[in-house]
Amino acid sequence: MTLTSVWRHLVRGVRRLARPAEADQDIADELQHFLDQATEGHVARGLTRDAARRAAQLEVGNLTGVRERVRASLWENAVTTLATDLRYSVRMLRHSPVFTVIVVLVISLGVGAVTTIFSAANALLLTPLHGTSDPARLVGIDRIESRGNGGMQASYPYYTVIRDRTRTLSGVAVWAKTNLTIAADGAGHTVYGNVVSGNYFSVLGVHPALGRFFLPEEDSVPLKYPVVVVSHDFWRVSLGGDSSAIGRMVRVNGTMFTLIGVTPKGFNGVFKPIVTSAWVPLMMQRIVRPPGSILDSSSVSWLWMFGRMKDDASADGVRQDLVAITAERIAEGVEPEWMRHNDGIRLIGLTGLPDDARKVMLEFMGVLFVVAALVLLIAGVNVAAMLSARAVARRHEMAIRVALGAARSRLVGQLLTETLVLFLLGALSGLGLAFVATRMLEHIPLPGGEPLVLELSPDIRVLGFALFVALFTGAVFGLSPALQAARYDINSRLRADSRSGSGRQRIVSNALVVGQLALSLVLLVSAGLLLRALQRGQRVDPQFDMSGVTTSALKSASWGYDDTKSRAFSRTLRERIAALPGVTHVSYANALPLQWDNSNRYIRLDDAPVSARKNDGTTRIRSGIVDVDYFDVLKIPVMAGRVFAKSDDENAPRVAVVNETLARKHWPNGSAVGHTFEFDGKAMTIVGVAHDSKYATLTEETPELAYFAIAQEWPEEQTLMVRTTGAAQPLASAIQSIVRSIDPGLPRPTVVSLKEATSSILLPQRVAAFATGTLGALGLLLATVGLYGIISYSVSRRSREIGVRMALGARASDVQRMVVAGGMRLAGVGVVIGLLLAVGASRLLVAYLYGVSPLDAPTFAATCVLFISVAFLASYLPARRAAAADPLVALRAD
Amino acid sequence: MEQPNTDVIQGTLDMLILKALSLEPMHGFGIARRIEQISRGVFKVNSGSLMVAFQRMERGGLLDAEWRQTENARRAKFYRLTAAGKKQLGVETADWARRSAAVARLLRAEA
Repeated sequence: MTLTSVWRHLVRGVRRLARPAEADQDIADELQHFLDQATEGHVARGLTRDAARRAAQLEVGNLTGVRERVRASLWENAVTTLATDLRYSVRMLRHSPVFTVIVVLVISLGVGAVTTIFSAANALLLTPLHGTSDPARLVGIDRIESRGNGGMQASYPYYTVIRDRTRTLSGVAVWAKTNLTIAADGAGHTVYGNVVSGNYFSVLGVHPALGRFFLPEEDSVPLKYPVVVVSHDFWRVSLGGDSSAIGRMVRVNGTMFTLIGVTPKGFNGVFKPIVTSAWVPLMMQRIVRPPGSILDSSSVSWLWMFGRMKDDASADGVRQDLVAITAERIAEGVEPEWMRHNDGIRLIGLTGLPDDARKVMLEFMGVLFVVAALVLLIAGVNVAAMLSARAVARRHEMAIRVALGAARSRLVGQLLTETLVLFLLGALSGLGLAFVATRMLEHIPLPGGEPLVLELSPDIRVLGFALFVALFTGAVFGLSPALQAARYDINSRLRADSRSGSGRQRIVSNALVVGQLALSLVLLVSAGLLLRALQRGQRVDPQFDMSGVTTSALKSASWGYDDTKSRAFSRTLRERIAALPGVTHVSYANALPLQWDNSNRYIRLDDAPVSARKNDGTTRIRSGIVDVDYFDVLKIPVMAGRVFAKSDDENAPRVAVVNETLARKHWPNGSAVGHTFEFDGKAMTIVGVAHDSKYATLTEETPELAYFAIAQEWPEEQTLMVRTTGAAQPLASAIQSIVRSIDPGLPRPTVVSLKEATSSILLPQRVAAFATGTLGALGLLLATVGLYGIISYSVSRRSREIGVRMALGARASDVQRMVVAGGMRLAGVGVVIGLLLAVGASRLLVAYLYGVSPLDAPTFAATCVLFISVAFLASYLPARRAAAADPLVALRAD
Repeated sequence: MEQPNTDVIQGTLDMLILKALSLEPMHGFGIARRIEQISRGVFKVNSGSLMVAFQRMERGGLLDAEWRQTENARRAKFYRLTAAGKKQLGVETADWARRSAAVARLLRAEA
């Protein structure tokens, strides 16, 4: 077809759309002329005028039919049809507002559930880092143990080697998280910041909103250029959003820094979930990220590395390049022995989440998504059932329209349009629900007080997703009822026939009930299992006593304190807290219990009968750095030897306390006490053995662990732990005022109970149980409504049959029994299928079940009983109504 | 009694219309009548198919249409070949000749 003819098609079509009557008249006139000519022809051949007209009409056919045919052959007809269908649909839906509202509501619950989960997954996992350019070419670089799972971060010297020798990356940058206390105008703000390499922003492709980013010299001379870049939010909220702020002096961890730039709005660094407010060059590390100067150290791995791939580089090429450089570096022999295990490279997408967290999230979102999809499926089935019921009720309307000449395809199209309008309305309100739900999720207060940024609200991708889901489910679940409605032949329909529909149709509606029950049962069993897991998790014994313990994280390094000042401060604080009424023990540790997941250390056990040693004779263990009273604060029993004493200070010989698992493994036939091991080049004497407890998660297999004395190894952050017999609230305010009275310039510390602080451990279960519980309840509600609707509808269709039975002498109770039995048969089949599906589905949940069996009998039993009761009720009520009906009235019903 | 098949061979209606119009402009009924006469009643054109074809061919630029007075003073829609229509007739005629000759040869060879 040539371009001009396409143009002509378009212009004529649009003209027809604009003046439909004129165009129709044109065709009508032409046809009439045709008819007249044909008549004339017959007259000329000798027929009478009447006979001639009849013959001509026979030849030409039904005028309306021909006109329709011509019209249907033109493209603009589809537009007109759609418009008509839409108009008619809206009118039909307005005529039955209750039906419309219920269906839209049901759909919006399903679409809303799926969209909410998708929206969260989209924001957390799919959206690239905000504010960066060409993020697809950015890769996160983890230095890992090629055999094992250690490593991940890089030391500064290793980073410079990678940066200088790579041939596949156009730039490599590093960053590390740090705590900063920024004071402008006297008011201090405790924030998270990043220490970054000078090229951090240029590798990411971020441009300053105000001022500038780092210069090459600021990235090369230690401690010479105290400059800081702040986030747009920090600049707006804490610095008043004033453009003259550039060049101002601010106090960062006690040192004066020059503010040189502001990042663009929405940029939050490379780690998405935590609010990052300031960026400081690596060269200032000693001030902003103590202890000590670690820039020259090859043994401290503290930097997260990422790079930008060259245009011609593949991920695999980059990996090989970096592995080769790492091997060279190891061969040079300048790294400590244990670092040589870290000879592998793992590249991950720079998505704002660490790889492992991303995997966990993906899996978790996957489970939630399946659950939400189940709700959508149930909603779809429910709507299909309602539409089928309505299709039967509209048989007369369809019959009349067919009799008037409507083609079956037009009827199906019309009904599908109606369904799609319903689903679109549902999608719109579902999107509204998703907006509200994500807003609520963003504001869930998380324990631990970390400033999280969650931007979950739906974007254009989510909008497209919701519309697609709605149209797809609409087509899937709307097609069968539409076909069904337009199926029967005219004759059987025009006979006022309202006995139960065809057998096939009853099978369809029964299948819908069964399917709905089965799916809802799967959902409810899953919800039940997760709730049981949550219960169980709260009861798992961590092997230490959480109750009566109050904690506070003291980030003394971020206050600009050095080692000596920090120790002195801690000593004073401990003494003054210990003097408070009700306080029995006070201790420090490097982290809270159940948060010791990144605490691997390599030790060398020389005199032990070692079975599980690495090639170089080192053993990987977990570690904790604790104070004298730690074991009393948490009531962890000591099985042999002693715990740390005040005398185990910096000048005393180095000591350690090990857990039972470590002691048993290496000294199975005797006491570990008195033996030594080597760590970081120093000999450590084991002075005691402590009872095993949980260190990182409640489900962990107890690792080998050693406690180190905090006085011999002062960490940059201290976690204060206080055991009290008194109330927690007054103690918390007392601690806060003591901290401020020792140094009035310090930010007010957050004080929480140990229970609160560790409750985030159960967060995934809590969210999952909440989500599946809500969705499960929703599913049950939908299933109940659906079951009740379908059974009561089928009863009303059988009212004549029931009337006949009762007229022939059946008692009300017989009728009731018959109807209820019918309903229960369906329910039985649904429950059995549902149970089989649930057995399969629960296996997917094992990771979240905390040892609750996926076939947990109480959960399954309770769910079954619930469903059967609901099914009974849903069939009993309509049965009673049917039995109470006057047989005469029932017989007369249409 | 068996009716002889008077349907136009599929895909040839356009060509027949073009051919009918190649002598002079005509209205719809005239075209139908001419096809019937020239084919000696072998083909009877269905009025619906004819109208659909008119719409399509007019939009395709093969025909022009205008309302005119007929000789007996009635209004009728007259169709006329455009330049593109004439060219199309040539193409389709050649194509048809080639194909019908091939079919004829095939049938002869089998017999």
